[in-house]
Amino acid sequence: MGSRNQILNRIKANKPELLDLPNINTSLFDEGLDLLKEFTKKVEVVGGNVVTLNSNDEIIQQIENTFTDAKVKFSNLPNTASFNTIELATLQNPHDLEDLDILILESNLGVAENGSVWVSDSEIPVRVLPFITKHLILVISAKDIVPYMHQAYEKLTNKDAGFGVFIAGPSKTADIEQSLVIGAHGALSLTVFLKD
Amino acid sequence: MSHSKLASIFNKDEKRVDWHDKALWFVRHKRDLSVHNVQGWEELRNLGHGIKAHMLSNLDNYLIQFEENAKKNGVEVHWAANAEEHNKIVLQILKDNNAKKIVKSKSMLTEECHLNPALEADGIEVIDTDLGERIVQLAKETPSHIVLPAIHKNRHEVDELFQEHLGTKPCDGDPQYLTGEARKHLRTKFIQADAALTGVNFAVAETGGFVVCTNEGNADMGAHLAPVHIACMGVEKIIPKQEHLGLFLRLLARSATGQPITTYSSHFKKPRKGAKMHIVIVDNGRSEQLSRPDFRASLHCIRCGACMNTCPIYRRSGGHSYDATIPGPIGSILSPGKDLKKHSTLPFASTLCGSCSDVCPVKIDIHTQLYKWRQIITKETPQPFVKKQAMKAMGSIFAHPNRFETVGKIARWSLRNLPQAMINSKPNAWGKARDLPLGPEKSFDQWFKDRENEKKS
Repeated sequence: MGSRNQILNRIKANKPELLDLPNINTSLFDEGLDLLKEFTKKVEVVGGNVVTLNSNDEIIQQIENTFTDAKVKFSNLPNTASFNTIELATLQNPHDLEDLDILILESNLGVAENGSVWVSDSEIPVRVLPFITKHLILVISAKDIVPYMHQAYEKLTNKDAGFGVFIAGPSKTADIEQSLVIGAHGALSLTVFLKD
Repeated sequence: MSHSKLASIFNKDEKRVDWHDKALWFVRHKRDLSVHNVQGWEELRNLGHGIKAHMLSNLDNYLIQFEENAKKNGVEVHWAANAEEHNKIVLQILKDNNAKKIVKSKSMLTEECHLNPALEADGIEVIDTDLGERIVQLAKETPSHIVLPAIHKNRHEVDELFQEHLGTKPCDGDPQYLTGEARKHLRTKFIQADAALTGVNFAVAETGGFVVCTNEGNADMGAHLAPVHIACMGVEKIIPKQEHLGLFLRLLARSATGQPITTYSSHFKKPRKGAKMHIVIVDNGRSEQLSRPDFRASLHCIRCGACMNTCPIYRRSGGHSYDATIPGPIGSILSPGKDLKKHSTLPFASTLCGSCSDVCPVKIDIHTQLYKWRQIITKETPQPFVKKQAMKAMGSIFAHPNRFETVGKIARWSLRNLPQAMINSKPNAWGKARDLPLGPEKSFDQWFKDRENEKKS
């Protein structure tokens, strides 16, 4: 406890007089975005694909047709038990997910200005899932897309997630001579299915 | 060694300097394209500045609030007054959990504390997992940039490094292949790790949670697989409320790389079932910097690196020439507060052009602080004899208009008439790497007067 009090006392002695916390007037940033258009554009900018499809069956069908080699698959969409090759309830160890090929997650928050999609503990039974999977598929309804990060946090205020993440595109790096390479440690590809 | 001496070593390889300069300017340009598309960008910067200034003025209370909430969330909180204590705490947590192998996500704070050698001395395997950090770790170097740690290395050097350490095939520096091999190599490390260590981009007092931003997903691969997650943060990483993340996440990635947001903005609050989470809150000189009214705004920094990318000196001298954990303009105002003598040349590694302040997402007056450090350093540290005498002479010339005019006349004549070899001789530092222009016939004063007379006639 010695250092704790020492640090706090020093800060107390050294800090300036209390300054007001500025208010954020979010209307200053509003440029009347066309949410779907902007969201689609930004998902593509950050390296993902957007597909408009309305039924979960169609989504599953398209995934099965696109990723024909996929062996280990999991989805949190309702009524897709036949798609899943693993039972998460029986998975005690997240390390066993190493071979996961496809993960489909439904989300209820997307942000138009940067193409990011929110997933949290309530959507992912095991936290490492969206990072360890080879291909990530996110499903979101058009009505759940907000214009800016400010509105996103308005929606998140009352949620008590132990963990949550905004995901924008597949994992990437540019650490070797500034060349952009898709697929660093996380997902190699991201597809967002947009429902009406 | 002084910044200028270290920079002159980097400057020996002209091609590398040109390439380094262009690579960073490319990132600065991407930043411009990205921020010009944001409605109300300047207001975002003002708010970022205002929230950080408010945070510093109430920092002790926010830290207490953060600690209380983090504990409620089931997270263990530790406090470290300095680097040594920080390393001791991390080592103790690892020992308590019998952890021998740890994976690290990029954290400039642990670089500042020299954590890796401290842990390795105790037989712990430490793997940096951000690709750029892993590259410099394999090369036994330090990061030369806070966002692009290996920006000073070209792809052929990475190729050779990977052949030597990871057993890759020669690939003529193919980034795709090299990244793929690094992915495989680091996956095994993630799977085997006993503990994961990350930095903290923002810690929220209101919730006791914290946010870590990466593009690679390495922080998450580490933290969600290992049974223990240790997050290390400087005291200044606190923001009051979760809603303020909306603002700072809009500012950070755009300023850093021109991306609208990093690929992963991960919000950690509670440990996952069966795992442990620790937070180490570190002072290490920050509370002292807080006591200096002229320099406390340097603690607003959100570590985007925009000031480095835009700095004409940084781009042409390389990050290692600053001999400090945080290089570039922001590092040059942070470092003298820690060790004025060691870092006495850094505030002079600037043209005072102000470009750093122009791009700073939280409006730190970097160039003004550089100027202020110069005043202090000149008074408090011994200056070279030649510089002192030259400054005295310049002072006397500027104080007497007649002398100024005479010296100007001589200089203009010399630049027109003396042979090149004499002008570019050793005592003239301005002629070191360039030819000087031909001296004009008239002084500026004369030119201006003539122009005004012409207007009248």
